[in-house]
Amino acid sequence: MINFKINGISAQAKKGETILQVARRMGMYIPTMCYLSKANPNASCRMCIVEAKDVNGFVLSCNTPPTEGAEFFTDSPALFKERQNIMKLYNVNHPLQCGVCDKSGECELQNKTLEFGVAEQSFAVRDQARKKKKWGVHTYDPSLCILCEKCTTVCHEIVGSEALYIEVGGYKSHIDINLKNCIQCGECVSVCPVGAMASTEFKYTSNAWEMKKVPSSCAHCSSACSLNYEVKDGEIKRVTNEAEFSSLCGAGRFGFDFANNVSAKDSEAFDKAVAAFRDAKNVVFNSYITNEEAYLLNQLKQKLGFNLVNDEARAFKTFMKAFASTAGESLYSATLDDVRASDYAISVGCSIASDNPMVKFALSQAVGYKKAFVASIHPVEESAIANVISLFVKNEVGSEEAALAMIADAFVEDKSTQKEFFDSLDFGYLSGESNISEEEIAILKQKYARKKSPVLILGADVINHKSASNIGRIAGFIQKNTQFKVLVVPPVTNTFGVSLICDLDEKTAGYTVGYNVKGDFTLSAKGDGDLDMPALNSQEGTFVNIDKDLVVLNAAASYKGYELNDIASALGVKTQNVIDYTSKLGFKDVEFDDLENYYDNVGNAYRGYKIESKSTSADAKIQEVTELGEYNGSVVYDRDPISQFSPFTKDCKQIKGNLDLIGSEQFSIAAKIKSGDNVKFSVNGVEFVRHFRVDRHMKGTVAYNPVFDIDSKTSEYRYNQVKIEVING
Amino acid sequence: MLEDFKNRNVSEDTYYKVDIEAYPVTGWDKFKRVVQRTFKGELFVGLWVVMREMIDFKIHTVQYPEEKMPIGPRYRAIHEMKRLLESNTERCIGCGLCEKICISNCIKIDTKIDQNSRKEVSEYSINLGRCIFCGYCAEVCPELAITHGGRYENASDQREHFVMYEDMLTPIDVMKANAQKEFEGFGAITPHEDERVKKTPLAY
Repeated sequence: MINFKINGISAQAKKGETILQVARRMGMYIPTMCYLSKANPNASCRMCIVEAKDVNGFVLSCNTPPTEGAEFFTDSPALFKERQNIMKLYNVNHPLQCGVCDKSGECELQNKTLEFGVAEQSFAVRDQARKKKKWGVHTYDPSLCILCEKCTTVCHEIVGSEALYIEVGGYKSHIDINLKNCIQCGECVSVCPVGAMASTEFKYTSNAWEMKKVPSSCAHCSSACSLNYEVKDGEIKRVTNEAEFSSLCGAGRFGFDFANNVSAKDSEAFDKAVAAFRDAKNVVFNSYITNEEAYLLNQLKQKLGFNLVNDEARAFKTFMKAFASTAGESLYSATLDDVRASDYAISVGCSIASDNPMVKFALSQAVGYKKAFVASIHPVEESAIANVISLFVKNEVGSEEAALAMIADAFVEDKSTQKEFFDSLDFGYLSGESNISEEEIAILKQKYARKKSPVLILGADVINHKSASNIGRIAGFIQKNTQFKVLVVPPVTNTFGVSLICDLDEKTAGYTVGYNVKGDFTLSAKGDGDLDMPALNSQEGTFVNIDKDLVVLNAAASYKGYELNDIASALGVKTQNVIDYTSKLGFKDVEFDDLENYYDNVGNAYRGYKIESKSTSADAKIQEVTELGEYNGSVVYDRDPISQFSPFTKDCKQIKGNLDLIGSEQFSIAAKIKSGDNVKFSVNGVEFVRHFRVDRHMKGTVAYNPVFDIDSKTSEYRYNQVKIEVING
Repeated sequence: MLEDFKNRNVSEDTYYKVDIEAYPVTGWDKFKRVVQRTFKGELFVGLWVVMREMIDFKIHTVQYPEEKMPIGPRYRAIHEMKRLLESNTERCIGCGLCEKICISNCIKIDTKIDQNSRKEVSEYSINLGRCIFCGYCAEVCPELAITHGGRYENASDQREHFVMYEDMLTPIDVMKANAQKEFEGFGAITPHEDERVKKTPLAY
């Protein structure tokens, strides 16, 4: 702890904390223009200067840590004058048409200009033609830009795309883009303090004050990021977030128009739905569901005795159970914050860029701030994460178990409790079958030296693996016996919550009711079923996200039809609102209305509560690694384009990413198809008709098959050997 | 002087009392009044006055709707949308302040981005059934685009009587004939405005 004084008040700083951070923590105000709490200081605006006692000149508070016994003053006539001059320079040639600016008053420049009493533009320079640019979801107006560099900072540090850069040229300096790197996430739009970066679709359609902010959570992937739906006339107009502290991916920011617009109650369909539930042998659902509705389905199951089917959540549950049996606790130990703060990360079986964008963002920050070493063990090299990954280890499809066994062998020191397993490992076989060389493991081991906070990230390919249980046991063992923190990426938004709440069964033959999944009777939030249901942005409820937090979902878009609670009430499981079940979920006895959902002044998130890990016995034995599957010929991998997750994102106007089968040249030769062919193949009984496209950046014989148009995520292993048939003409 | 102001008992001696007869109370008195009024011939005095004025054609009333009283420039009736003097294009920039300030929530504005990537008003309507003609919209308008005009006849067969942007906009032929009138009422620029304007420095 460093003791010092700000404005005569004694303050304490932790090691590495800056003066600005301490001041904000203590609730003191220091103006800034370019500072962004979630990123490294740019130090380009010089607004955050403070005076230090017995020091000539000013000190930049954003990147200066205090020294013991120092005294700082955040406000004085000299500082005011200096800051006023900075604002005068920011205002040089800045257009004065604030009335037609897309920022509509939410403008940092406007605020600070008024704060420092800059009533007129006292300087001007010869202006030049500055062309507005359209870069997909966002547009850039260089004449409004004040070059605070927030956008380039987030693009490099947070997103890790390195798309935006500054085209340097004195007064002509402006932001430019390398469009092929851009993942269309809109982080730059959210941090822009002026109206220079704006959403293409939203621009000029509404003023900020016309919309009501509904704080909620994103419904697209398991990160369930905090966001605000901005609603005007019952319609979501845009999504904003606490850009100072948190981030969103493109799906969260631009995929908000998936509400099911239902204007009246269809009582005839409702009666049929109630009857269908009475007759149902199976109720099939996916994990795009709130905890409360999952709980409700479980209650209905207990009352009516149907099979509750959600294969993907059941696979996750099985995996976590196996994990707990060696880890000694029921949950994995890492959160995204741990990934952010890690200096060493290994990912296995996770398509990092598309499965969960926040994992990629977190890894990018780990690389940027902690100089982390990031290794990805995956059969397909992803070009989208090339600048985050330090070492790519290509493994054979199906060999994730071998990969994890080799990691366990390399990193666990005390192997006594699982002696039989480690003795049974045959490295020649494992290395040969998985194609992971011992040199690669040696590099992993060598880079591990002196690292303090390693994480192991496990993705859906591990959870849905044929021998998932055994992989789970190995992973649990790694968590217990090494300093690795383990992060398991739940495949769907609320897979985690569903797996904790519901007793899931296997599907049997018989009448099936589907909730957002095709069944004999279908309840659908897409509006294409037999009875309409509210989409997740018209519902109140909670999710359990990847961070093991129970987070709040609030209703934003208007919905006037029936919901699951009405059906349950008709079937005898009665309550007024579905959120009455929040306190009964079995985690903590907290009512929905008492759940918090905000960020404080220094960026601590107060979002719901953390699910506590329970201790379990850790005496399960890891099984021997049995024969690894062989995948020859044409293998397709279920992987969605970035920002596409489900049928809900599919219809969102601003999210691009089509249903093309994408493969390498090598794949096209092996499968005897050409770029541009229409092809047909079937995976686990589902028939796909896709347009084939060759991506020159891809290597290997595995092709990406997007599955975001399929309503339920599969619990099957995502790699499949297929026979591809050309159906041109 | 101050005492005069402080004396609030204004009824003391400043009132002019009308000479009103005592009302009849008993039945007999009422009967007497009826008889008096019936046979006095007062009726014909009145009828003669009407007859005389009719023959003389000395008409003092305004012949509405053929004739209308001139209306003061500060009168606040149905809104007008003005055009720019230089280019004849619309003054409204779609900032939405009129919608925000409107205390009876009668203004509805929708904007969009146009082909030149500028803000454009796509829909603008005022519900005259709700409008209380307070003039706040005209006062807040940064471009002097929305003003009040002199059209006060807004009888309608339904309560929701809307006026659309196109109806309020100065017709282009009026504009070309230089006949667009500025609003001189509340919120308009004062005659000394030119002296108060500070120019942005143009150093080059």
